[in-house]
Amino acid sequence: MENYQFYKDNREFIKALESHGELVTVQQEVDWDLEMGAIVRRVCEKRLAAPYFKKIRDYPGFEALGAPLATYSRLAIAMGMNPKTSIPEISDEYVRRTTGTPIQSILVDRKKAPCKENILMGKEADLFKLPGPMVHDGDGGRYLATWHFVVAKDPETDTVNWGMYRQMVFDEKTMVGPVLPFSDMGKMFYGKYVPKNKPMPFATVIGCDPLSGVAACAPSPIPEDQFTGMLMGKPVELVKCETCDLEVPAHAEIIIEGEVIPNLWIEEAPFGEYTGYRTSPREPRTVYRIKAITHRNNPIITVSNMGVPTDEGQLLRSFSLGLEMRKLLESQGIPITGVYMLPESTHHMVVVGVRPAYSNIATQIANLVFGSKLSPWFHMVIVVDEETDIYNKDDVIHALATKCHPIRGIRKYEHSVGTPLYPFANPDDRKWSRGAQVLFDCTFPLDWPKSDLPIKVSFNKVYPKEIQEKVLKNWKNYGFKD
Amino acid sequence: MANREYDTFILSDPALLQEDREMELIVRELTPPDLRYKYRSAYVNAMISKSETKYPDRLWIRLGRGQLQEKPWSIKILKELNKLPKESE
Ligand SMILES: Cc1cc2nc3c(=O)[nH]c(=O)nc-3n(C[C@H](O)[C@H](O)[C@H](O)COP(=O)(O)O)c2cc1C
Ligand SMILES: [Mn+2]
Repeated sequence: MENYQFYKDNREFIKALESHGELVTVQQEVDWDLEMGAIVRRVCEKRLAAPYFKKIRDYPGFEALGAPLATYSRLAIAMGMNPKTSIPEISDEYVRRTTGTPIQSILVDRKKAPCKENILMGKEADLFKLPGPMVHDGDGGRYLATWHFVVAKDPETDTVNWGMYRQMVFDEKTMVGPVLPFSDMGKMFYGKYVPKNKPMPFATVIGCDPLSGVAACAPSPIPEDQFTGMLMGKPVELVKCETCDLEVPAHAEIIIEGEVIPNLWIEEAPFGEYTGYRTSPREPRTVYRIKAITHRNNPIITVSNMGVPTDEGQLLRSFSLGLEMRKLLESQGIPITGVYMLPESTHHMVVVGVRPAYSNIATQIANLVFGSKLSPWFHMVIVVDEETDIYNKDDVIHALATKCHPIRGIRKYEHSVGTPLYPFANPDDRKWSRGAQVLFDCTFPLDWPKSDLPIKVSFNKVYPKEIQEKVLKNWKNYGFKD
Repeated sequence: MANREYDTFILSDPALLQEDREMELIVRELTPPDLRYKYRSAYVNAMISKSETKYPDRLWIRLGRGQLQEKPWSIKILKELNKLPKESE
């Protein structure tokens, strides 16, 4: 088995970001109350380097890393690749690593687990001792967990789940957040703990290594610790929790342990969300009561700032949703040429390239992806033929605007699963996670006579090879720079 | 003069809110002595008024998507309610 370059913790990743010019170290003290959030927001909107905050008001000894993975170059670095690697190359590498045999995690002794350097129990385990930021003005509370994951275990099968489910601080001992009913933890908690009125042990991991974060927000059916192992090419090192039999990454910065409480709800939100809006309503959501906090010395929290593109939620969820779709379609033998989900669409729009081998292949693609576990999170599928470069937004817009028939080319799917976060959904649909979906078929029908097929008029398509070569050879001689 | 400041989220029409009657609501603490506790939430029994000066503490109003209303109200907190399960450890 190959050994990939990987970062066992966020500290090594920070060093790598710095060495590639992808980090700005902020020595000046920043306020956890809006200032830090505003900086991270501007970084996302301008696609800048990740800010590493060395001093946080009211919280001496704590540091923070903002927008850890908000660009493809930071993702490439996290994967141990050259920051300039193209999106298709990063995608192929991700698919290659995550296809095959999952890599089991290993348990390490607590003495080898830096996340145990400080252990706070009882009254000491107080959420306000951690610098949870007020991310956006108007949020329902301080979101301590914006780039993190929640560990839980299925009580019947012992299957472990790591999922990124946001958490708002309510009081010293309480966090609250939406655990959507179709998420893995939602199915576990509402399906197996709530009916028995049993609390569910959880552990929130803040400041994990970068690939664990990638795995935790990826919609893969493989347990995410093993999925992380596949991305790393090495087993993840875990350590036992203090108060329950869950296991957490030994090298993480902060662990919050506790129980998810059945049949109790507290109002959560509003929150600036990945769609670029504050959409989902303030309403009763799932309650986490905490029992212990453990952390490294001088812990570094991670801060993601959801809003208009591009933040890491949009980038990585687009990336992994698109690539899980690719795996699904390939597993079904559909002759696709690629799948690319646009982060700028806040992972609502996916472009699928296909060789139109038979009629209605676009419908078959849409039925498959809309029928999968992935479907609550996106609602627009654009199917293009191999003439369109799926990674080129201009090319995709051109195909959509020219090849998709406004009636025949558009198929609407009603009664879909949705999320409360869809800005276009009416309030009642948001409440019940109901959505709708649409296919844009940008392939020409196969039954058109060849002579009626429009021919794409581009430099590459409508000039003989000799002319193209001649023009390219003489380009500078004509007086053009490049 | 306001002593402490709080805010609360009103999900219905603020105009319909009952003033001067003991009611239950969630407030967030905006001016705690220890600044690390800012935005701590609590269920309380309280009386509220649209007048800024009627009750001792100031209450800022936010709508369902966080929109801060221009004029603060006032609040008298009667007691903090313990709605959450006791510590198991
Ligand atoms: C920053 C961020 C915050 C998220 N917050 C939530 C959330 O609060 N609730 C939820 O159900 N999903 C949330 N998601 C989506 C889940 O992380 C995503 O569906 C993931 O695949 C969950 O894995 P699962 O399939 O194990 O449930 C969030 C994603 C990101 C990137
Ligand atoms: Mn999962």
